[in-house]
Parts: sequence; C-alpha cells; structure tokens
Amino acid sequence: MTSQAATVGLQAQGGTDPRRLGVWIVSVGIWFLPLLWIDPTTYMVLTVAGLAMGMLIFLTASGLTLIFGLMDVLNLAHGAFFVWGAYVGFSLLKVLQAVGWVEGAGLGQSVGTVILCLLAALVVGGLLGIVLEKLLVRLTYGSHLKQILITMGASLILVEILKVVWSPNDEVVMVPAAFQGSWDIMDVIINKFRVVAIVVGLAVLTGIQLVLNRTKLGIIVRAGVENKEVVETLGYNIRRIFTGVFCAGAALAAVGGTMWSIFKEQIHPAMGEENLIFALIVVIIGGMGSVTGSFLGAIMVGLAFNYVAYTVPQLALGANIMIMAVILLIRPTGLLGKD
Amino acid sequence: MDKQPMQLTPVQLERLALRRVRFTRPALWVQLVLLACLIVGPVVLPSFRVMDVMTKVMIFAVVAASYDLILGYTGILSLAHVTFFGIGAYSLALITFHSGHPAWYHLFLAMALAVGLSGVLAVALAFFSLRVKAIFFTMMSLAFAEFIFILGDQWHDLTMGEDGVSFGLPGVFSVNWSGGTILGAPLNGRLLTYYFILVASVLLFVGLVRFVRSPAGRVLKSVRDNEQRSTALGYKTFHYKVLSNVFGSVTASLAGVLFAMWLGYVNPTSVLGIPVMLNVLLMVIIGGMGTLYGSIMGAAFIQVAEAWLPDLQKLAAFLLPTVEVAQRLAERWILYFGILFILVVIFFPKGLVGTARDIIARRKLRLAQKNQ
Repeated sequence: MTSQAATVGLQAQGGTDPRRLGVWIVSVGIWFLPLLWIDPTTYMVLTVAGLAMGMLIFLTASGLTLIFGLMDVLNLAHGAFFVWGAYVGFSLLKVLQAVGWVEGAGLGQSVGTVILCLLAALVVGGLLGIVLEKLLVRLTYGSHLKQILITMGASLILVEILKVVWSPNDEVVMVPAAFQGSWDIMDVIINKFRVVAIVVGLAVLTGIQLVLNRTKLGIIVRAGVENKEVVETLGYNIRRIFTGVFCAGAALAAVGGTMWSIFKEQIHPAMGEENLIFALIVVIIGGMGSVTGSFLGAIMVGLAFNYVAYTVPQLALGANIMIMAVILLIRPTGLLGKD
Repeated sequence: MDKQPMQLTPVQLERLALRRVRFTRPALWVQLVLLACLIVGPVVLPSFRVMDVMTKVMIFAVVAASYDLILGYTGILSLAHVTFFGIGAYSLALITFHSGHPAWYHLFLAMALAVGLSGVLAVALAFFSLRVKAIFFTMMSLAFAEFIFILGDQWHDLTMGEDGVSFGLPGVFSVNWSGGTILGAPLNGRLLTYYFILVASVLLFVGLVRFVRSPAGRVLKSVRDNEQRSTALGYKTFHYKVLSNVFGSVTASLAGVLFAMWLGYVNPTSVLGIPVMLNVLLMVIIGGMGTLYGSIMGAAFIQVAEAWLPDLQKLAAFLLPTVEVAQRLAERWILYFGILFILVVIFFPKGLVGTARDIIARRKLRLAQKNQ
C-alpha cells in the first residue's frame, strides 16, 4: 500500500511532459535577453547578485509553498519567522563579535560564525513554528479566511514582541571577515558573501529534494500534498506531519532571515513583511505546493529584480509583479502548479 | 391585498415582511439616534479631537462596510482594499496640489479620477487572480498593495514620496474660511467639511446597503455560501465576484477622497500602508462579517482606541516610571491589536453585530416555541 502512494506521488512530480520541458527552456533562455542592453561584465555581476538573491528568497518561499501544498494553509506569519531568525542570528553574531570570531581573519572562524548563526536561527524558527502550529494554526484547519486572519494576527504579535525585545530601529550587521569584500575574476566583481548565499541556497535545495525524493518521510509528505485523506487512511498521523512541515518551513524562513540580514548588512523589523511579498510572488509564479517551481520562481525574481534595478531602479519590484501577471495569464496555476 | 400569496417568490415574501415592520424595527431607531448624534455632535462638543474622531469613524465605517461587501458578502479576502482608499485620497491630493490653486471642479475631477482609476484597477486585479482560487486573490492583492505603496513612496516627482502631499481645499471648505456664527457655534471651513463628509458617507453607506439588498447582492450571498450551487443555477459567479469587488473598491476610493478632504494631507503610510489595511480588517471582524452595520461599530471601536490608547503610554510612564519593559510594552499598542485580532477570530467569529443578531434570533425562536 505504501508503495502505491509513493508511485502516485512520483508520477505527479517527475515525468517528461513536453510542455514542462518547454517551460524549462523558455524560463532559462529568456535570461540572456538583457545582454542586448547590458554589457557582459556588468551582466555577469548582476547575474551573480540575482542568483544569490534568488537563493535567499527561495529559502523563505520553499517553506511557504510546502506548507501551502501540504496543509492548505496560507501562512502570513512566515515573514515573522524570517525576521525572528534574522534577529536571533544577529544577536549571536554580536556575541561572537565580542569573542573576536567575526573579525578574525581565519576562514574557519568565519564559516563557523555563519554556521552557528544559521543553527541558532534554525532552532528558534523551528520552535516558533511548532508553538504557532500547535497553539493557533491547528484551530483553523479547513477555513482559509480564519487561517489568514490568525496567521496575520500572530505575525503582528511576533513582530511587536521582537520590537520590545530588540529595538524598532535599523541596525548594521557585520559580515564575517573572510566573506567581506569581493573577488575580481576577469573584471567581473563577485561579492564573496553572494557566493556563500548561492552555496547555502543550493545546499538547502539539495537537502529538500533529497528528503522529499529519497526518504520515506518525503514520500509521505508528497503523498500528503496529493491527497491527505488517503495518507491518513494508510495509518499515518497527518497532524504530526503537519507540525513537522510547519516547523521545517519556519526554520527555513528563519535561516533565510539570517542570511538575508548578513547579505544586506542591515536589519530592521519590517524586513519580514517585505520578504514575505517576494516569497508570495515566488510561490505564485512557481505554482503553489511545488518546491522546484518556487526555486525557479525565486531565481527568476532575483535575476529580474537585479537586471531591472540596474536599468530602471524605480521599477524593480514592479517588474516582479509584471512577471507574475504574465505567467498567470499564460498559466493560471503557476509554472509547475497543479491544474 | 395579495389574494394569491402562492405566486409570490420567497424573496418577495421576505420583502413584504420587511416592509411591514419598516418603521417599527428597533434597528431603525438606533440608526436615527446615531445619525442625530453625528449631526449635533460638533455643535454640542466643540472639541477638535472629538470631531476628528467622529469624522474618521464615519469615513472608516464606509471603508469597512465596503470591505465587508467583498469579505463578508462575497467571501473574498482582499488585502488591497486600503490601496483603493489610498488611490482616492491621492487623486484629490495630487489634483489640487499640482494645479497650484484649489478650485471647485477639482473636487469633482478627483472623484471621477478616483472612481475611474480604482474601477479599472479593481477589474484588472480581479481578472488576473479571481479566475483560479479565492486564496490566489489574497496573495495577488497583497503584492498589488505593496506595489502601489512602493509607487507612492518612490515616485517622488508625482507623489512627493514619503514626505506626503499637503494641499488646501477650495471655497467654503478651506481651513481659512469663516462665516460668522450659527446658533452660537462658529461656522468655519472645518465644520462645513464635516457636514459634507457626513452627508457623503451616509450616501455611500446607504448605497452599499441597497447594493447588498439588490438581486445582485442576493447572488453574491449565494456565491459565498455555495459557489457550485449558484453556478448550477445559471449564475456566472465570476462576473458577480468582479462586480462586488469593483463596487466595494470604488466606494472605498470615494471614502479616500473624503479622508483626504478632512486631513488636507496625504502620505503613503497613512492611506496605503498595510497597518491601515489591518485596521480595516479588524474593524470588519470586530463588528461582524456580513452585517454592514457592524463596520460602524468596528470603526468606532478602533478609532476611539487609536485616539486614546497612546494615553496608556503616559499612564504606564506615570505608574511604573522605573520598569522599562512596561513602558516598552505600553508603547507597542499594535501588539494588543494583534492579540485582540486572534481572540476575536477564535472566540467571537461573528463579531458584535453578528452575535447580537444571533441572540435576538434565539430569543425570538424561544418566544415562538413558548407561544405554541
């Protein structure tokens, strides 16, 4: 019986549908278009920046899309997890700075700093996710309106508590010494931390894909996305899986928050909300419930944001909404969404 | 009168029943008393703060009621409603500001612009996102709201960015205009603006009530309760959803024009920001979704709380001068809004008016059972 659920899940995820292939080709090809008006060196710089930004948005969007796909919950508190992660990471960074790790020249110290900060964010984000799911979201399964209202209220509360615990003002975030500055490869200036962001993003993507495709837990989660009732009939406790996915999504958002704050070198309480908008656009573009789709969407949004921000700075966010509108016109369910 | 009652439809029967008790309903008296309070209010209590709160209650009651049309009567959760409100406010502000000298026709021009712009945008938004799933609309509207906010914040040549736009009103609405005294109260531009807003918001509110009771309004309720069934009955539910969305948005944009008239100043945070959207949402939830009149109570509650909650901060500073955490907590009154929000959604999902109606209905039922 389990294997049956697995094959159903596999067929929905994989399969070489020519239409999907077309989607892939178009979405890769279109990114060489800006070469027409941006010179190649700048283009490379912007591309690296865009990829890094996309990876970071993906961290937030992946959790959002999984929570939506599995639990049918639109979690508007995702931005709050993001910003809590950012502040927890920031606090640890300050502590490590006092010890001297952040300014230390060694690569090991810098890597250690980043990993420790990410772990702290991961733990706090995950805990917040569990608490929120058990306390509030659980009460509202089945009613979209209530879910949105409740998660929105929770988001308000979390951000306000954050302002009480830390401060409501902008603060500067230190970048660990080894990741400061940039490399110059044939006139292409590559910011070091952007590379770190890309590495972390790819690692998370690989991790999620491995868990989803290679483990039993992943099979159950994917089967749950397809059909919750069947998974329940097969004897799995779907509620526990809901909690787990919510926790994982929150933890990913928190990691995204820490990475984002180091990436931008600043931190402020409203950044969760701003990033939630990006993540929502990405989830819509990619198709709700599809991790690969949200990865594609995140890369698209990151790249488009950087190309447009270079050409017409004021239009940057507008461009993303335009992309979203165009994709929704062609495919109302998003790139890889279910029909 | 009607010899063949069997030929009347249930809707007509209900209308007849309503018409019979038209003047004896207690609700009518509540409405009249409320209206009378709003009319004599500024004369009896000539305090600017009270008048300010009363005006904002009127305007936000219209905004919340128009939002209730979309949320409570159609079952669509839009997060861009305040954006349309802001578009209305900015229409008036930008027209009078950029023309240099405020004139009468600017007011009408602003209203026309507000109606046109918000109508077109509401249609576009609905067309893009209502086709798929209601939840899609929520996400799209959030992105749209953010986009318009950024436009207001960044397009400096047009909107003056985050500094906002301050402008004057034409003729008798101008702050400087003064027309002596009437019944002992000074007659000035502010007072006339107040009464103009009173008349306009009552008209808008009545328009919303009429819309909800119209045949289209009935279809909307059926869409909310069971969309498949209303499709099966032959209604193009998509069209009705778009209609309700456009009607609500246009009303909100007109309320925005009124808001700009009252403040004489517009900036992105005060008319386009997400916090304002949350306030309106909270107003509808507190008053009760799908009741329209609830939005008046919700608006009154929030506006009064917003006007006097900052005093809480002073109280905290006075009572606990040494405890810093208490002061920090008192400062963050949005925190209490959030808690209230969740408590209302969980324990009080029908809001004030909805719960009151439930209680009245139950009591009537019990009376009817006793009489049998």
